[in-house]
Amino acid sequence: MAVGLRALPGRTAFLASVGLAYLLVLAPLIAVFWVSFFRNKIIAFPPQGYTLAWFANAWSLDDFRNGFVLSLEIGVVATIGSLLIGVPAALALARHDFRGREAISAALMSPLIVPGIVAGTAVYMFYIEIETWTDVQLAATLPGLCLAHVVLALPWTVRLVTASLVGVNRLVEEAAMTLGAGPALTLWRVTLPMIRPAIVAGGLFSFVVSFVDLEKSLFLVGPGRMTLPIAIINYLEWSIDPTIAAVATIQIVIISAALLLTDRFVRLSRVF
Amino acid sequence: MRHDAEPRPFSLLSPALLVITIGLLLPMAMMFRFSLNRYSANELMTQALTFSNYARFFGDAFYLGILGKTIAVALASTFVALVLGVPAAYFLARLSAPRLKSALILMTVIPLLMGNSVRTAGWMVLLGDRGLCNAILIFLGISDEPLRILYTGKAVLIALVGAILPYMIISLQSVLEGIERVYEEAALTLGAHPATMFRRVLLPMLMPGIFSGSLLCFILAMNAYATPLLIGGPTFQMMAPLVYQQLTKVFDWPFASSMAFVLMSVTLASLVLSSVFIQRRYGRL
Repeated sequence: MAVGLRALPGRTAFLASVGLAYLLVLAPLIAVFWVSFFRNKIIAFPPQGYTLAWFANAWSLDDFRNGFVLSLEIGVVATIGSLLIGVPAALALARHDFRGREAISAALMSPLIVPGIVAGTAVYMFYIEIETWTDVQLAATLPGLCLAHVVLALPWTVRLVTASLVGVNRLVEEAAMTLGAGPALTLWRVTLPMIRPAIVAGGLFSFVVSFVDLEKSLFLVGPGRMTLPIAIINYLEWSIDPTIAAVATIQIVIISAALLLTDRFVRLSRVF
Repeated sequence: MRHDAEPRPFSLLSPALLVITIGLLLPMAMMFRFSLNRYSANELMTQALTFSNYARFFGDAFYLGILGKTIAVALASTFVALVLGVPAAYFLARLSAPRLKSALILMTVIPLLMGNSVRTAGWMVLLGDRGLCNAILIFLGISDEPLRILYTGKAVLIALVGAILPYMIISLQSVLEGIERVYEEAALTLGAHPATMFRRVLLPMLMPGIFSGSLLCFILAMNAYATPLLIGGPTFQMMAPLVYQQLTKVFDWPFASSMAFVLMSVTLASLVLSSVFIQRRYGRL
């Protein structure tokens, strides 16, 4: 075809730039994954062989083991917390029209707009101020971190569940009510099951954004209480070796698994 | 029978609002108030109502230089991401094989949510003196000895582009999915060169995506922490690491607050500017 022939050099350049774009996106993740299996202690290409020893070594280091457990704990709390407060908020936003609805919706989405470094600075000083006034310590404690992470995760849950509720046919709920079900029973047996994919996806997303957060947590961790991404960053300031690559690989595997699972409930391309 | 026991919106919303207020809005308001206080060496902070912290920031060539550099790096990386993102997004949006397409979408979205610490580790593996890039360059005989790539401005730019590109691709792709292929085909059938078709037909319709994607990427690059710190090295200064140091190493709360607010205002200003611009030009999105 004439068009195709004329466009041939353009087509090569086009495909090359697509390739370059995906190289920049994927190469760092693939590289760190690959290096985590290298046998040599100092990174050198090509490798002298392959081993799984660095994963055991990473687990034997306190910072990484504790960081992994702490990140899991916070991730689970952020998931539960954001669902417990986010699903009711989404119900209100999707089902009721009231004054200030737009403003409230904007407030609930605000964690997406405030940069992590800015939010972290503000929350850190706020926690210290609370401590000087009430003697309740929040900075560098698990509850303090969990509160910050629930805030981080909340907009995703609200957004996913609200979008799903808008698509639910209200006639089904009205039918349940007509047949004698009360509002609570209708909510539990009709509405929530219909939006279950969005609830599961919101929970998984909450876990992911909490688990990978670096900038906001940076201010809120304390000595001996570091999340996994912060343990990684601290280690990288001194050295880069297959052990840290193994730690990064574990994060890659966990996050990829969580997102692949999310994709089964709500198409990831529709989340953004 | 219809009970009037259906919960009222306020009771459903109040837990979420309470958490957002305590966990973000109140701290932000307090931080703004702190930015008007004065630093004192023995009490850390004294109550005041002064703009001296902002005056100090904008009056000092050192801090202005870092702000300027941050904005320049953010603009440059956004531009590169746009240039590379348009072909990638077009490829993704026009891919007809459904399985390949969803695989490619996953390969875009998963890196986007992978977190900056892992990505930074990856770039250090790639760009270090003994890294993969140098190994390839030496193997191919392009260079005899390792090139210094890590701890340079170029490395920061490359790593930032890699970090923000998925956002650009997804933003552009979502707009491209809404543009039907018939427009392109009509232009090509009427004899337009593909480049002309792109410039005259596709680009104008893609503009909203270009704006929203660039805005998102600019904001992310402005606020980057791990990349300048670890890829740029100790001499490469950008705003986010600077705020962190002021707060946790210098303990100058008022000054750190004002810097955080400068960073926040650049974000807010670009958001407001672009939404005004987009609305005036393309109507409400």
